[in-house]
Amino acid sequence: MTHDSKTDEILLDIKGLRKWFPIKSGMLTTVKSYVRAVDGVDLQVIRGETLGIVGESGCGKTTLGRVILGLIPMTEGSVHYDGEDIRMMTNRDLRRRLQIVFQDPGGSMNPRMSVRSIVGEPLTVNGIAEGAELTQRVADLLASVGLKRDHMNRFPHEFSGGQKQRIALARALSLDPEFILLDEPTSALDVSVQAQVLNLLEEIQSKRDLTFVFITHALNVVNHVCERVAVMYLGKIVEIANTKDLFSKPAHPYTHALMSAIPEPSLDKVARRRIVLSGDVPSPANPPPGCRFHTRCPIAEEGLCDVEEPKLESIGEGHSVACHFPLGPGMTLPILGDDQNPPEDDDMPNTVLL
Amino acid sequence: MKLHMFIVRRLILLVPVIVGVTILTFTISHLIPADAAAAQCGDKCGIVVGYTDDGDPITAYEANRERLGMNEPLIIQFGLYVTHLYEGDWGESSTYHRPVADVVKDAAPITLEMAFLALFIAYPLGIILGIISAVRQDRMFDHISRFFAIAFVSLPIFWFAMVLQLVFATGTESSGICDPLFGTSGGCFPIYGRHDPSLTYPVDGFASFYPAGGTGFHLIDSWFVTDEKLATLPEGWSSNWLLFKDTLLHLALPCAALGIASSGSLLRYMRASLLEVLHEDYVRTARAKGLSEFKVVIVHACRNALVPIVTILGFSIGGAIGGAVLTETIFAFNGMGRVAVKSIQYLDFPVIMGVTLITAAIFLLSNLIVDILYAVIDPRVRLE
Amino acid sequence: MRGWDEGEEDRKENLKRLTEAISQSGSDIWRSWRIYRRSLLAVVGLMLVLSVVTVSIFADDIAVEHPYRNLQDTQWLWTIDNEPQRAHPFSEECDWHEQSIYVDTRSPFFSETVVAVSDNKVGDDNKYYRDTLSVIELLSLKDNKGYDLNISWITIDPNNSSILILSEELYNNSSITDKVWLTYEFDNEAMHLSWMPDGYDVCIFGTTHQGQDLFSKVLYGSRVSLKIGITVALLTVTIGTIVGSVAGYFGGRVDEVIMRICDVFFAIPGLILAMAFVTAMSAITSLTIPLWLGILIPILFLAVVSRTYLTSTIPQENQLSSQVMGSLVRNRNIFLGLLVFFFFVGLIPGVSWSELFGLSESREWRLSAAIGIILLLGLIGLADKRFIEKSSFDGAGERVSKSLDWTNPWKYLTLRTVAVFVAAFYLFEFSGSTDDEIVVIKTFDRLWKIQAALIFTGWPGYARLIRGQVLYVKEMTFVEAAKSVGAPPGRIMFRHILPNAWAPLLVAFTLDIGGTILSASGLSFIGLGAAPGTAEWGLLVSDSRQFFVFDPHLMLFPGLAIAVTTLGFNLLGDGIRDVLDPKNRR
Repeated sequence: MTHDSKTDEILLDIKGLRKWFPIKSGMLTTVKSYVRAVDGVDLQVIRGETLGIVGESGCGKTTLGRVILGLIPMTEGSVHYDGEDIRMMTNRDLRRRLQIVFQDPGGSMNPRMSVRSIVGEPLTVNGIAEGAELTQRVADLLASVGLKRDHMNRFPHEFSGGQKQRIALARALSLDPEFILLDEPTSALDVSVQAQVLNLLEEIQSKRDLTFVFITHALNVVNHVCERVAVMYLGKIVEIANTKDLFSKPAHPYTHALMSAIPEPSLDKVARRRIVLSGDVPSPANPPPGCRFHTRCPIAEEGLCDVEEPKLESIGEGHSVACHFPLGPGMTLPILGDDQNPPEDDDMPNTVLL
Repeated sequence: MKLHMFIVRRLILLVPVIVGVTILTFTISHLIPADAAAAQCGDKCGIVVGYTDDGDPITAYEANRERLGMNEPLIIQFGLYVTHLYEGDWGESSTYHRPVADVVKDAAPITLEMAFLALFIAYPLGIILGIISAVRQDRMFDHISRFFAIAFVSLPIFWFAMVLQLVFATGTESSGICDPLFGTSGGCFPIYGRHDPSLTYPVDGFASFYPAGGTGFHLIDSWFVTDEKLATLPEGWSSNWLLFKDTLLHLALPCAALGIASSGSLLRYMRASLLEVLHEDYVRTARAKGLSEFKVVIVHACRNALVPIVTILGFSIGGAIGGAVLTETIFAFNGMGRVAVKSIQYLDFPVIMGVTLITAAIFLLSNLIVDILYAVIDPRVRLE
Repeated sequence: MRGWDEGEEDRKENLKRLTEAISQSGSDIWRSWRIYRRSLLAVVGLMLVLSVVTVSIFADDIAVEHPYRNLQDTQWLWTIDNEPQRAHPFSEECDWHEQSIYVDTRSPFFSETVVAVSDNKVGDDNKYYRDTLSVIELLSLKDNKGYDLNISWITIDPNNSSILILSEELYNNSSITDKVWLTYEFDNEAMHLSWMPDGYDVCIFGTTHQGQDLFSKVLYGSRVSLKIGITVALLTVTIGTIVGSVAGYFGGRVDEVIMRICDVFFAIPGLILAMAFVTAMSAITSLTIPLWLGILIPILFLAVVSRTYLTSTIPQENQLSSQVMGSLVRNRNIFLGLLVFFFFVGLIPGVSWSELFGLSESREWRLSAAIGIILLLGLIGLADKRFIEKSSFDGAGERVSKSLDWTNPWKYLTLRTVAVFVAAFYLFEFSGSTDDEIVVIKTFDRLWKIQAALIFTGWPGYARLIRGQVLYVKEMTFVEAAKSVGAPPGRIMFRHILPNAWAPLLVAFTLDIGGTILSASGLSFIGLGAAPGTAEWGLLVSDSRQFFVFDPHLMLFPGLAIAVTTLGFNLLGDGIRDVLDPKNRR
């Protein structure tokens, strides 16, 4: 999904965004503590680009997406869309300009509504079209995602996963938005179908001049579709760079570990080293002090990494990293312990699930 | 969560419910168009009992109103009511001419005895039939027992009790043989009452030979009647066993009516629960190990299938107390149900409030005990 | 505004969609039926329910007594003296009438006159008539002490078999003081069940202790029971759904409070609570609501509708002028505060609501005030702090006129339109009222009271059920998807959450009809339900208690009727549960 005429106009500007979910104790409903799902995120999305956000499950990437769209209120910080604070935008405006495609294509559709009602719902509730006009517009939308007009009167359960995701895309396109947030749109699909959907996305993006934010945990997909990638860890962005840079010279140890987990078709088995991180992801309700990654980082230094929180700093053109010891090109991480043997490649899935 | 924390938590959660029940009963009893002040003085309401400081006469009715706090605003009355409740003063019944607390204290064990015994019938019946039904799923037995399960739930309990009376209690016993009376082929269970008339007659329906301060459950109390008391009893009743047997026989029909009615839903619960468990992996493992089918079902499956059944025990007790209103009316037991009916007929609202409060308390308490039991059996629920 | 011709396409489209929806639901029902009929028990249940419903509809035609009577006064329907009491089913006594005839030997007026069979009706000719009975044969004549008298002292009028002629001898007999007892056989042809072969007696269930035909009474009882069962179940479902969905949708404090209230209701056994509530209502003779409330309810409803209408038609970027909206929004709390204030002022004794709200003014005044309030509330609700920033009327008018498209009538075929019309009708109706109160139920009789009590005790169960369902469905992605395209809360609730939450509700509803019938008959049994004399099953069983050892039919048939009806609904509910179980869907 390359874009030729890229202007560096910032479409979405996220500053210091925080979303803390309160944990209430049942009896007296007092707030005990917070789950810091998103904890201080700064991010810019440029008009026309596809920005990937990757991270493990529970790192807050889905919450980040919901907050950007205003589906859940933010705790702190600001999100400006095209120079306007989304909290000051009218609901209608927000919905018409920013849309979302959900991960679970089946679950995101009301099983009791026909495809016509599902795809037409945005038009109906916003008072844009009705009656014959609505039918026509739905038919056009279906055609644009590669479905037939006849599909209109069927119900979601009559479709395959890929078709459902096309319908979901048609729904997102119905208001003719400028920005679509894709929340793991392909992770519930078969690999062959994934490719089809990705190609469709690419086609639609170039046709309609859309901006995508692509939330996923599948690195190979990111490599395929995104121009820039942000890596999230425990509610924070740890590294952001052009896709090529990120994959060729990851600077953050965490990114490094991620990259090493991508299976590569290689005859040279010995040369491949997989960095397996020790330990589990800490709880976002009680994140570690200092650098959030220090508990699992092979190069963390006591007294610095567990005390001082690194800031996201630029280390090259469009490449920022939040680490006290960013790795240079070609540098590798030390391997901890003896049991970190590379696993058999045969067992590797072709999508890396973190 | 530790077990004691769990219990404390559950107790704290009970407080708003108890307060709510008090408010509800208070509200309802104040909607009842009965004048407690008038009820207490009856036809002597007009009699002047004293004079105010200004010399105006005070009638008995006015004095009663003043004494009962009926001239105060509702909210103060409620406060007074709660204070009195707390102090153990539940008011005076105008029907029974006794303190409400005493009336309720006498009635509660009767209902509880009946309810417990009914569940004692319902649970084994429901569970055993439920197990057989689940094991023989979709066979003839299953279909029939499911039909009866629904049929039992559909039976009007008062009618069922009368049918039981008709079938099992309309015979007469002559020379040791049960003789059907007037062509009805009935058995010889006592038709109503809590004791044989010859036992209760001399003391006017109040079996005073039971030890004072006893449990009130005559099935238990009958074993503690002293020999001196036994000697005063009529011929043929002078042993603890005979008293026990008498109580048990009198309880048989009402408990059967209540128990069979509630066994239907238990059967369905048990069947569903066991069917679910039978499809679990560990049951399959047990089968694969080569255990006999009996052992698989009884030892492995049933133990887990019974856990959810325990949870509805609390609700069953509530249901049985509700059903007791009808069976007590039919079988002439002076339990809470009959007291409630009578007090409602005579608009005796301190008693209505007392009975409602005490049934609610029993229900909540039994649910609490069941919850704690459940938490002991299955530690997972404590996390909830 | 578009012309009629321009709307042609939309009309066709909407009609097509309507027919499609109907055929779709038709095929849904057909598929459900195919699953349903797999279970024999479920089919039996359906049959039972259908037959009880049929019986209750055609009770007039099947019943043997008084088919012409007005059914409203069932209380008085059955009081015929001196019919054979507690006659057993099919016994010979059934077509006999025992009739007491007053013979006043001292009154010259009555000598020489004829006396009819009935004491119901006196004709102009001073004769007594009973329309339906004609006497075939006189069986016995007894004096007041039970001694036989000569039967030939009374003869049947050859011209009119309903009239009996008393002879001179009867009057002159010195042993008769005031009345004689005559037993006769009447022609039961007219009262005969048309579907029964000749020679059968009329009372196939026997007669009650008051000499009424039990069969007819049980038949009419089905009407009472069904009426109670269905009304109560419908109303409890409605209340429970509203309360439960509010609790589930809003969650938090609201949920907490509602659920605690439900807990309170669960803590008290339903029957005891219902008994107490019936008693509490014993002084109420008719159910009225204050006029202000009657007006306020349609106003609030219309305000909510107008709010959703305005939000869905007027684009927010084109909202009314910022000053108007801004001031409305800023003062929203003041408006609401005023409303609450007036509400509580109205509760102060001595302050009349009518005066406070100018309700004593003319209808025109009230109506226009109501419409003003509707619009105001709609606008306040519409107002959102976001668009204080925005202003301009551009396009608003066009959008409103477009959404009020009269060329496309099919699109108005919605439940909401019906509700709006009903609300508007009542608003118009009540605004012309000159009373301070609106009568909802004129005679709030004992049947109504048990219904009210059962609703009062029944709603928490539904509230809890629907709350759980709403909580479950609310978390599904499609609800979030609906929010993400800007669907308003009302639409999310009614289009997305409730349609996916009703399945267990339907089962509970069906089972509850049976349960309600049981509870209502239980209440009647302990004497708190139907008024004495009503054809109500529980009451019939209760009446039979003194006699049931010797006359078990008195109790067996009404009890069986309760059991069979309840069983029918329970089996039906069970069958529906199977149909709705996703495991059975292929």
